[in-house]
Amino acid sequence: MAGALTLTTALLASACSGTGGGGESSQADADTITFMTQLFGTAPSPQGELHQAIEKFLGKKIKVTWVPNAEYQEKVNVTLASSNIPDVMVVDPKSPAFGKAAQAGAFWDLTDKIKKYPNLVGDEKVLLNSSINGKIYGPYRTRPLLRSAVMIRKDWLEKVGLEAPKTTDDLYEIAKAFTEKDPDGNGKKDTYGLIIPKWPGTTFAASSPFNVIDVWFGAPNNWGERDGKLVPEFDTPEFFEANRFMKKMIGEGLVNPDWNTLDTAKWNDPFVQGKGGIIIDVDVRTTQLLDLLKEQDPQNYGDKVLTVGNLSRPDGKKFSLPFSGYKDILAVSKQRVRTDAQLDELLKTLDKLASKEGQILLTNGIEGRNFKVENGEAVLINQDDPKVKQLQDDVDKAFIQLGTQASTGTAGIAYPRVPPEEPYRKDLAERKERVAEDLKTAVFDPSLPVVSPTAVEKGATLNPIVTDARIKYLAGQITEDQLKAEIKRWYDSGGTQIAQEINDLVSKLGQ
Amino acid sequence: MATDLAPPPVKAARVDRRKPSRGRALWRYRWLYLLLIPGLAYFLVFKYVPMRGLQIAFQDFVPFLGYNGSQWVGFKHFEDLFTGPDFGRLMYNTLVLALLNIVFVFPAPIIVALMLNELRINILKRSVQSLIYIPHFLSWTIVASLTYILFSVDYGVLAGWIHEIVGGQKIDYVAQPEWFRPIIILQTLWKTTGWTTIIYLAALAGVNHELYEAARMDGAGRWRQLWHVTLPAIRPTIVVMAILMSGNLLDMSFEQIWLMTNNLNRATADVFDTFTYYVGINQGAFSYATAVGLFKGVAGVLLIFGSNWLAKRLGQRGLF
Repeated sequence: MAGALTLTTALLASACSGTGGGGESSQADADTITFMTQLFGTAPSPQGELHQAIEKFLGKKIKVTWVPNAEYQEKVNVTLASSNIPDVMVVDPKSPAFGKAAQAGAFWDLTDKIKKYPNLVGDEKVLLNSSINGKIYGPYRTRPLLRSAVMIRKDWLEKVGLEAPKTTDDLYEIAKAFTEKDPDGNGKKDTYGLIIPKWPGTTFAASSPFNVIDVWFGAPNNWGERDGKLVPEFDTPEFFEANRFMKKMIGEGLVNPDWNTLDTAKWNDPFVQGKGGIIIDVDVRTTQLLDLLKEQDPQNYGDKVLTVGNLSRPDGKKFSLPFSGYKDILAVSKQRVRTDAQLDELLKTLDKLASKEGQILLTNGIEGRNFKVENGEAVLINQDDPKVKQLQDDVDKAFIQLGTQASTGTAGIAYPRVPPEEPYRKDLAERKERVAEDLKTAVFDPSLPVVSPTAVEKGATLNPIVTDARIKYLAGQITEDQLKAEIKRWYDSGGTQIAQEINDLVSKLGQ
Repeated sequence: MATDLAPPPVKAARVDRRKPSRGRALWRYRWLYLLLIPGLAYFLVFKYVPMRGLQIAFQDFVPFLGYNGSQWVGFKHFEDLFTGPDFGRLMYNTLVLALLNIVFVFPAPIIVALMLNELRINILKRSVQSLIYIPHFLSWTIVASLTYILFSVDYGVLAGWIHEIVGGQKIDYVAQPEWFRPIIILQTLWKTTGWTTIIYLAALAGVNHELYEAARMDGAGRWRQLWHVTLPAIRPTIVVMAILMSGNLLDMSFEQIWLMTNNLNRATADVFDTFTYYVGINQGAFSYATAVGLFKGVAGVLLIFGSNWLAKRLGQRGLF
């Protein structure tokens, strides 16, 4: 009972706190819009300069429930169970809890309406990707379409006398040299090649380093066509090829020994501390690495990171892992917005917020206050003034999360932010070229717009099966045959049904 | 109740001289009853009112539709649970941990308390007592982080020492499924033993010293005294603690297990509490999660009645 009670108490408590924090949902006037989104620092004050500027720009009051990013999904699920859903909620449209709520009619279906608001549509393909089986529940928050990259310790690479990698074999050679050839020159064999953290959650396709390598070897990106049918990433020979490669690296000690327990928040540490030399992740991590290395060595930090794009497999064929192009949508709840007229009013406001001017406010800040425009780029100014610093933090750690057509990593319709130092500028310029090149070989996930009902219902049981089995295989706890048996178990426990539904839904979408 | 509070005046006056009526007693001890109210309110608000939510175990609960709008599905979620692939594993993991708790964690504070009781140097006794309480005040998050730091295969200090002494291959204690249970039990021992010792020490303080003197006159040594005087004296306390523990047998400490779980040890680590959280809060399957929790609760109630009955059968005083 305690479990059930804990659950219900949590829901109850959140319902209560929701009332306290979100406030007077019933009497709130039409001039206030409530939001809920992620937060990466401390919550901005409603009296803050930026908050006020946005309200002035919209001509409406806004009230934002800021939720620390780490607990966001849980808070969303708990809020969905409460009676205090904000008007506009940043949600992952594919999460089971949102799917159920949307199906029950808790959120507005905007499929036919969104086209009327030009700033909300964005890229039609990405908009479709963010839908639930073609049903659109809100404008998406844009992200770069291709973000996967390999970050390597440049100084180490020079030390061991190797070139930047082009193929997975090159990557292996580098990892081996980093492990065995004492790249940090301390006379001890205390380094390793690749750094992999514990990948959180049980979802299989999570853009983890493992998924990236699967795709490099030619496996599908989550789902892909084989013999005219869509099959999951792990039911292909290429998947096993990729995992044999990974297992070899792990078995030979070329990967950090704590690869299945290292906290993702500490992913940069071994790289910066000179324990490991390769990270496979999104390319914006380069910026973080440069920041950290700069603290250590303000002179030469630029010579310590080399970022390259997706790698080709040993036979020279190249496949790149793209992303979905969005992260979460801004869903409109029906709790307070009840009539079509009210919805229109709200969408007009959101449309205004998604305009160039609005996006600049959210993702750049206030022109002349914390940034100025030079050659179409935003250059930070007055950062020594504590008030401006506060404003800058409100942008970077909070309000940027409400950006739809602009965000971190993609300036979109707002001003690209260019850091003053050379290494950052160089990275940004290289990134553009790299992304354009890799997009040519991108393997897209055809199942992005669809959600299988069985996956929603049985996900808790099914998701961990293959995800855990792969990790166990890599750790040497089970053999390849046992991994295959686990995949069969996935099919038998409901996977067959999921595959059927995915195939049906995708083909229906194409019509 | 109302009649108790307002008995006919004539009768009340007559009763007054003999025995105080219930209403009188209530009035007389009103301050004590007043003190009871916050406790009652706590149980009402946080334990009984939320039980209303248990009904969603029998529904396909959709928050937007609420308790009244959601569809009733009877025992569907329970059927899913009992026939599903997770049940056996969850039950096994939970029971094994429960058993280990009974064997290792339950007797530990008794043994420590007895040992402390034998100490004659007061200052040593006091300081040991205080030192072993401290872990109780640390949260599981800290205990788990400490474990990761000490036992990490990469930089763990303790893991390094063990490796130096034992030799052989380096063991990844925090990721190996076979090390999961030992680590959980060690953590629990470290964190809870000292605190629980207080209760036994209190019971030991109440043992009549004349009994020891009498035993000594009869020539009983230290061990004899322990066996024939000390243990029988704290037996009721042990029994009550055992019954209380049996009710919580299926309650694993959620944070502890959740924090120590990873892809490699999940098969061993998953227990009802973590599964409920994962399914309910992470996956948003509120009804199913509630059904799992309700099942566990019912099993807990049965266990507490069962052990109470057993205690009475064995000639001890039960809880109720």
